[in-house]
Amino acid sequence: MRRVKGTPTHQGISLIKCLTECNDGQELTVVNVNSGRGAKMRLANLGIIPGSKIIKKQSAPFRGPVELNVKGTSIVIGRGLAAKINVRCNNDCQT
Amino acid sequence: MSFEISKEKNEIKENEKSAINIALAGNPNVGKSVIFNQLTGLSQTIGNWPGKTVEKKTGSLDFLGYKFRIVDLPGIYSLSTYTLEEIVSRQYIISDEVDLIINVIDATNLERNLFFTFQLLDLKVPMILAINQMDILRKRHINLNFEKLEEIFKLPVLPVVAVHGKGVHELLEEAIEMVVYKFPHSHYNGTEPENCSHHGHDYYREVHLSDQNNTPNECSREKFEFPDLNELFEYGKEIEYKIKRLQSEIEKHNKQISKFKYPSRFLAIKLLEEDSEIIEIFGKNPDLGYILKNAEKYRNELENMHGEDIHTIISSEIYNKINKIIDEVQEIQPEKERKHDRLTDKLEHITTHSFFGYIILILVILGVYYFTFNFGDFFGGLIDGGFSKLSEYVYNTFGEENIFISVLWDGGVGGFFGAISGVLVYVVPFFLIIEILQDSGYLPRVAFLMDRAMHAIGVHGKSIITMILGFGCNVAGCAGCRIMETEREKRISIALTSLIPCAAVLTVVMGLVGRYLGIGWVLLLFIINFAVILLVGRILNKSMPGSCTELIMEMHEYRRPNFSVILKQTWVRSKEFIFKALPLLVILGISLEIILIFRLLDPINIILSPITVVWLGLPAVTGVFLIYGILRKELTLALLLILADSIGITLLGLLSPIQIFVFSLVTMLYVPCFATIVVIAKQTDWKYALQITLLEITIALLIGGSIYWIYTIFMAI
Ligand SMILES: Nc1nc2c(ncn2[C@@H]2O[C@H](COP(=O)(O)OP(=O)(O)OP(=O)(O)O)[C@@H](O)[C@H]2O)c(=O)[nH]1
Ligand SMILES: [Mg+2]
Repeated sequence: MRRVKGTPTHQGISLIKCLTECNDGQELTVVNVNSGRGAKMRLANLGIIPGSKIIKKQSAPFRGPVELNVKGTSIVIGRGLAAKINVRCNNDCQT
Repeated sequence: MSFEISKEKNEIKENEKSAINIALAGNPNVGKSVIFNQLTGLSQTIGNWPGKTVEKKTGSLDFLGYKFRIVDLPGIYSLSTYTLEEIVSRQYIISDEVDLIINVIDATNLERNLFFTFQLLDLKVPMILAINQMDILRKRHINLNFEKLEEIFKLPVLPVVAVHGKGVHELLEEAIEMVVYKFPHSHYNGTEPENCSHHGHDYYREVHLSDQNNTPNECSREKFEFPDLNELFEYGKEIEYKIKRLQSEIEKHNKQISKFKYPSRFLAIKLLEEDSEIIEIFGKNPDLGYILKNAEKYRNELENMHGEDIHTIISSEIYNKINKIIDEVQEIQPEKERKHDRLTDKLEHITTHSFFGYIILILVILGVYYFTFNFGDFFGGLIDGGFSKLSEYVYNTFGEENIFISVLWDGGVGGFFGAISGVLVYVVPFFLIIEILQDSGYLPRVAFLMDRAMHAIGVHGKSIITMILGFGCNVAGCAGCRIMETEREKRISIALTSLIPCAAVLTVVMGLVGRYLGIGWVLLLFIINFAVILLVGRILNKSMPGSCTELIMEMHEYRRPNFSVILKQTWVRSKEFIFKALPLLVILGISLEIILIFRLLDPINIILSPITVVWLGLPAVTGVFLIYGILRKELTLALLLILADSIGITLLGLLSPIQIFVFSLVTMLYVPCFATIVVIAKQTDWKYALQITLLEITIALLIGGSIYWIYTIFMAI
């Protein structure tokens, strides 16, 4: 039903990382969200669900929030919450 | 096509029963308020950031012989219980007060907008889909297949360009067709026979309904059947099975449930989702307890099977459906790849840059004040000069000792000119800039840059937006604090916003300190003010239980500011000022003259003098001015000017430089204005409003007095 099953060993090489660890400009696939129910619901409503493709655009300095491109629009997510979103890189980006 | 606009609220109430009631619902920042303003002629705040409309607003109009009552709702992403707005909106939508929903959809963000549409469809209220911002979609060379959309949703789907008013009235035509011809349970039907013979009605039928088999002498034909969308809704097998099971259980208790008006499928889904409001409804009734238990069982089964929580499961289901729909209806013209708007991209990049972003932010803030100050100073000087020339002439003709001249000219006309030259000239440019900032889309960028810093004072980045609005007017800023998700954050934001120096305070500071002491001292005042905000934020953050939630915010693309909108909104705000503050100033000016002549102020000033004279070192008259200032802060300055004028001296003769500084500082901080206090009480409660007021009085007196005494002691040495 869902397009991508959120299994960590799906592609062998690709690593699961949390969103804050990724580089700017990377294309990512959401693996899972480990936040509380409320935040999870809001993120799901906005289209951040396991399997959805997102791009990390940038993050603000001093451990500030992260800006994502989700479904063609920008969504800003606080650092603490972004750290709870696990993603996988779509292209090779083992850094 | 002639239609009239009626704005009177009472009229709306009276006509509630016979009007077609339409609610505008949709995601934030899609253009609901633009459509609302186009239709009703009212002026709801419009701007390019999510969360401007915080409370539902009603307007009305006549169109094609029908009365319409239109309600602008706050933008929301779903009909769950994440924010208060979501619960309030869904209760309102299913209530008897709504005949039809216009779901406003941002064409450039179809996926997320259709997610909300799916939620609305579950409520089974007659609905029209208005696909707005078609102009932008066309610029991007994307085609939408409207016929296909109508085929899928089995509801009218119309293209709209709200900012140009295109397609807006067609929505109403469609609404007439749905409500009048197909939906007999609306309020509108109460007065149906009367309207049957109505001119507009006939016109309408001839033009638009000629192809339908409605017989002319029968008003209500078929009942509006909400289209059968089962196929569209059909989720994955396991979920669908469980939803159906719950649904059939719920339908067995139709008697108890029907009064809540939610359709059974909606209830079933919400039970699965553990929706607090719906669970409460079921929990109250012992007969329904078993349904709750089943729902919980099903939820656990589903969550175990998918390894995800239920919201994720259901949201994925919906987004999968939407993806399929979009593939069918949207066509990107490949040969004309979307040309990137270079300027917006650059602007986007630099205003959120980790270094230049902050530089620009500082420049913007300084620029705002520099522009406001220079604009105000220049025109204020011109008007003052003109007024003194006029005064000379008046005195020469009528004699200076004439008591009527002193009351009417110095008090009345002087108050009027004082308000314009001392207050209005600063307020108008300031409002203008705030509107430009709002409409361009800069505010969410500030929230992005400042989110981290705001955490230090207990709120997330969105709070900075309400604070920036607070610069224009604390009332608007504090009302805007409803966009904060939790009560704790709302309260902290409100407290901080009420400490922001608003446009009125700005005029006092510019007109007193800026004009007589220099812009450097203005800067010092602002630094003190922001230090106070930081301090209060830290204290509240420590003392209130709970912790800061994380920012989740949509950041829309920059838009070329729409100057007609900006000018109109600046005018609306200035008009409010002109019609409320100016008459008050003229009246107060006249009464002040009389009071001064008869020395009526003395008792009040004597009572307040331990504070004003002894502690703050100000002249006794300022006591009353500070009391007036609670009403509107700009009064403190304006009344000072009137007083100086009527004694025939300049302000510097009335107040020494240190007094000017202390007086301005106290005015800045000492209390939110009356209207703000009321809004705070409405958003929270009176206890909190009074606590904030007391806190601010204490802070103002503490700092103001300290500065005076330090200065005095320093000078004595
Ligand atoms: N280009 C273009 N811009 C539009 C159109 N309709 C609305 N806008 C812009 O979209 C922005 C948001 O419009 P609003 O009417 O304030 O949005 P809203 O849906 O009321 O938003 P909230 O009250 O925050 O939920 C404004 O900057 C409008 O100028 C349109 O048809 N075309
Ligand atoms: Mg709005």
